[in-house]
Amino acid sequence: MKSVSELTDFYYKTLYPVLQKLEDERKVLRHRLIQVAIIYTLFTAFSLLVLIKLEIIEIDFLIFLGFAYVVGGGILYKYFTKDYTKAFKEKIIAPLVKELDKNLKYFPQMHIPEMSFTRSRLFTSRPDKVSGNDLIKGQIQGVALQLSDFHAQKKHKDSKGRTSWSTIFQGLFIVSDFNKDFKAKTVVLPDSAQSTFGDLVGNWLQSNNFSRNELVKMDNPDFEKEFVVYSSDQIEARYILTHTLMQRLLNYKKRSKHPLYISFVGGNIYMAIEYNKDLFEPSVFHSLLKYKIAMEYVDTLHLAISVVEELKLNQNLWSKL
Amino acid sequence: MSTPFIILIVFIIIVVLMYNSLVAKKNQVENIFASVDTQLKKRYDLIPNLVASVSKYMQHEKSILEDITKLRAEANKPNISDKEKIALDTKLSSALGSIMIAVENYPELKANENVLHLQHSLNEVEEQISAARRAYNQAVTDYNNALEQIPTNILANMMNYKQKDVFEISEHERKNVNVKELFN
Repeated sequence: MKSVSELTDFYYKTLYPVLQKLEDERKVLRHRLIQVAIIYTLFTAFSLLVLIKLEIIEIDFLIFLGFAYVVGGGILYKYFTKDYTKAFKEKIIAPLVKELDKNLKYFPQMHIPEMSFTRSRLFTSRPDKVSGNDLIKGQIQGVALQLSDFHAQKKHKDSKGRTSWSTIFQGLFIVSDFNKDFKAKTVVLPDSAQSTFGDLVGNWLQSNNFSRNELVKMDNPDFEKEFVVYSSDQIEARYILTHTLMQRLLNYKKRSKHPLYISFVGGNIYMAIEYNKDLFEPSVFHSLLKYKIAMEYVDTLHLAISVVEELKLNQNLWSKL
Repeated sequence: MSTPFIILIVFIIIVVLMYNSLVAKKNQVENIFASVDTQLKKRYDLIPNLVASVSKYMQHEKSILEDITKLRAEANKPNISDKEKIALDTKLSSALGSIMIAVENYPELKANENVLHLQHSLNEVEEQISAARRAYNQAVTDYNNALEQIPTNILANMMNYKQKDVFEISEHERKNVNVKELFN
């Protein structure tokens, strides 16, 4: 597999002509977006003034108006950037994926099926709405891998019957074959209790988490500090999480710099990296040629696809024979 | 209700909870040791096969092979204590390890399908044992902690609970045995 620097080279050298064309499009688009935003805001302000004049203004109505302004703005943004986004994904992201590994297929509109998300047991609340895009699918060194941007939301209703949505998870969701056979369900989560409440109280809270299986204390102090493990089988959890794998997961976590959720269910490894934003979307207000922006695409893509190599998921496959 | 009565009830509840947690910890240790035992048996079952297929070629390692057979016979004796089982396992692990390395020196063995298969099975069982051992050690640590910590130590003393031994995991075992590396 290509390294990050090779991929960065590819981005700046091979993709340069395309980038420049897109960059021109981006400047035009930015200009138009600013115009639209000004008109849109003026229009909203005008409507507000009219409503105040007519004296039918209420606090509920004001909230509604503010809400409508944000949603409308979002829709307008989506509408105006549609073509640019499509071009960006086809001409930049797709070649990057191909460059990383020829066996990978890229589907800009699709995402990981909801079934995979619920099957992973990573999040205990059931999503009411899922969305996502940028599905990447294929075999890397004989290991089946698929990943995508994923957004799972839950619906809430308050006493007045108003609905609101909260995010369960937003970020990268990765599903891959695991190289060992197992029956138990093992979940590795970021250790929030122990780091917030300290060892004593945190440990007590963890062992009394009723929505999870048994707490598994691991014999790697660094790993214990970073993660908490729940499993339906104490021994199998350790059969999966060997000393080497724990170290590799720690390294991977360090590289990702974002909260990492991992689970082992039904012969698969599921990983969720929480970014809390939509990834692989084109930048409109910053230049695509900026190093920081480029690295966001290159790094994230490399991180997601290198999971097979980083965790050595292609080794020891005999145990599955 | 009078205050002393309430205090008495609270005290009884605390004692019952402590008692139950101690029993649960002891049972967890026993429970996991049973799994360790199953895995160890699986490995002992592989030994005659292994010895039979390699002894023809391995002239220099005769004594190690004899040791392995002896260790297996000892482990199969009835009524051996957990402590002895742990000690036997440590010896056997290192003996098997040296055989696996010695296989390197015999091209006939490296090409032998039966030996290859045995190595794979052994490696697999080895990983299972290692996992079971680590689970056992954690259970024993929890149990031993309860035996020493206040206030459970008082109750544990009255119940006549004794400290248990953990498996010692040597440094080279901490690394995963990788059969691929042996063959490269």
